Amino acid sequence: MKRSELTEFAVEEEGFKLKIRRGSNGLPIVTSGRSSNPPFGGAETAIPFAAPAPSGVSAAPAAPTAAQEEEGVAFIKSPMVGTFYRSPSPESKPFVDPGAKVVENTVVCIIEAMKIMNEIQSEAKGTIIETLVENGQPVEYGQRLFKIKVG
Amino acid sequence: MIQKILIANRGEIALRIVRACRELGIKTLAVYSEADVQSLHVQLADEAICIGGPKSADSYLRADRIISAAEIADVDAIHPGYGFLSENAKFAEQCESCNIKFIGPKSKSIKMMGDKSVAKDTVKKAGVPTVPGSDGPVENESEAVKIARKVGYPVIIKAVAGGGGRGMRIAHNDISFAKEYHVARNEAEKAFGNGAVYIEKYIEKPRHIEFQILADSHGKVLHLGERDCSVQRRHQKLIEESPSPFLTPDLRKKMGKSAIRAASAAEYENAGTIEFLVDAKGNYYFIEMNTRIQVEHPVTEEVTGIDLIKQQIRVANGEKLGFDQGDIKFEKHAIECRINAEDPARNFAPSPGTIGLYYAPGGHGVRVDSHVYSGYVIPPHYDSMIGKLIAYGSNRKTALERMYRALSEYLIRGIKTTIPLHKAIMSDPVFIEGKATTAYMEEFMSRTPPDLFS
Repeated sequence: MKRSELTEFAVEEEGFKLKIRRGSNGLPIVTSGRSSNPPFGGAETAIPFAAPAPSGVSAAPAAPTAAQEEEGVAFIKSPMVGTFYRSPSPESKPFVDPGAKVVENTVVCIIEAMKIMNEIQSEAKGTIIETLVENGQPVEYGQRLFKIKVG
Repeated sequence: MIQKILIANRGEIALRIVRACRELGIKTLAVYSEADVQSLHVQLADEAICIGGPKSADSYLRADRIISAAEIADVDAIHPGYGFLSENAKFAEQCESCNIKFIGPKSKSIKMMGDKSVAKDTVKKAGVPTVPGSDGPVENESEAVKIARKVGYPVIIKAVAGGGGRGMRIAHNDISFAKEYHVARNEAEKAFGNGAVYIEKYIEKPRHIEFQILADSHGKVLHLGERDCSVQRRHQKLIEESPSPFLTPDLRKKMGKSAIRAASAAEYENAGTIEFLVDAKGNYYFIEMNTRIQVEHPVTEEVTGIDLIKQQIRVANGEKLGFDQGDIKFEKHAIECRINAEDPARNFAPSPGTIGLYYAPGGHGVRVDSHVYSGYVIPPHYDSMIGKLIAYGSNRKTALERMYRALSEYLIRGIKTTIPLHKAIMSDPVFIEGKATTAYMEEFMSRTPPDLFS
C-alpha cells in the first residue's frame, strides 16, 4: 500500500479526516501514522474532535456517484470496494481520457471486486476533466474516480 | 502467522480489538461507514477503508465489500466483533473459501447453534439439561395438552416463527391452556404467517446465567466462569456480573461441566457463551449458545485476568491454549453497567446527538470501554450503547460501592444516558442483596419514580 506524504502530515493535525477528503487525489487508505506517535500517545489518543463540519462526509448525501461541489464540476465516485482499472484489458486503450464526452450509461472504468470485473457507469452527463486514481489502485466506497464537467 | 486483521465492526468493540492487536504487534484495518469517519477506532487503526453509506445494510452488513477490502489490503484475518456478521455462517464460509481466517468458530458450528431447535437437540444428546417441552411444533390440541400435562404447568406456548418475546402465551392449567393454545395459534398465523407452535415449561422469574467458553483448535475446551445477566429490559441486558450471587459452588461446578459438554457437542473453537435459565430451586436449562465474543466479556476478563480478545486471536492463529481448567482463578467480583444514549425518565427514548463534555471515571478497580469523546457525534443509525463501565474488587460489596462511585464521577453532557438509572439500581436493596431475577427490571421501574433518573 502506498502512503503519501499528505497522509503522514495530516495525521499530526486534529480533524485530519476533513483534510484528506478535500485533497486533490482521494486516497484509498486513510492511515494514522503510528510512526509519528509520541511515547505517551499524544495526538492519537482521545483528543476532542470538533463535530464534523457541515460539508464533512458524515453529512454527505447518499448519492454514490456524481456529486456537485464547484460550479458545474462533479465527481464520479466508486460505488464499491475494489481495484480500479482504466481499460477493459491491459492492452486496450482506457475507457475514457480527459476530454471524453460521457452520458449516464457510459462505462468509464472497471472495478474488480472479488475476482469479478464490474463495469462502472458514469451516471452523469458531461466531459471528463481528470482521472483521479491510478490504474491498478485499490479504491474504497465513495472514493472520487473522475472529475467531470457537467453538461 | 496472523499479521494484519480487518475489524468488521464499529464502536467500542472495534476499539477493543484495535487495542488487543496493538499489544500483540498485529496491524489493523478498520472498515467503516460514512457515518463513522470520526470514529475513534478508525483514527487509531493502521489503515482504514470506507465500505459504504451510513445504514448498516449498506456498510457493516455488506459481506462482499468487507471481503473485497480484506483482499485489497491483504489481511490475514477478520474479527467480526459482536452483532453484524459475527454469527453469519455464510460470511464465515466466505472467509474460509477466500483463505482469510475468521476469528471465531468454524462456520458449521455457527450454523448448528444458529438454529434454536437444532442447538437444543444437539446439546440434549450430549446430556445437557434443556427446557422440557415438545420436540418441535405440536400437531394438534390433544397432543399439545398431553405435553403440557407431562411437562407440568405453567407452560408457555411459543410460535415457531416468533422470537424476541413475541408470539408467546402462558397457561397455568388445563382450562386456560385450551383457550391460550388457540389464541397463540391465531396470533402466530396473523403475525408471522405461520401458526405452528411448540410447548415449553414456563420457568417463572428465572435468572439468566451464562458461561464463557474458550476452546482451541487442538481439542481443549474450557469455561471461564459464569456471568449473571438477569437485569434486563425487554430482553436487552443492562447489567452483568460475575460471579452470580445466586450460584453455589456445587451448582457452578455442574453448570460449568454442562457448558463444556454443550460447546464440545458443537465442535466449538474460539470464544463463545452458553446461556442457561436457572429457577429458584437451582434447576438449570440450556436455552442457547452465542457463537461470538459478547458485549459483557470484560466482566470475565476482570474476574479471571484473561484477555479474551487476545486469546481469540491466538486460537485463530492455531495456537494451543496455554492453561488448563484448574489454572483459571476466579479472584475478583466484577460488575458491568451498559451506558446507553437513552433517557430512562422518558421510557428510554433514544438520545443521539453531540456529546459536549465527556469525562470518564478512573482509579483503582475501574475500567471504561468506550469509543466516545468530547465533541463526538453519536450517529442515529446504530444501537444506543456508547460505552461500558466495569467495576471490580475482591468481593461483591466492594464492586458495588466502586461502581456507584464511578457512576457518580462519570460526566456525559449534551445527551441523556442511563447513568442515573444504574446509580439507582446500585442503591436498590433488592439488587444489593443479590436477589434480582429477570423479573427485576419491571418490578424496579414500577416502584421507582421517573424523576429519580434525571
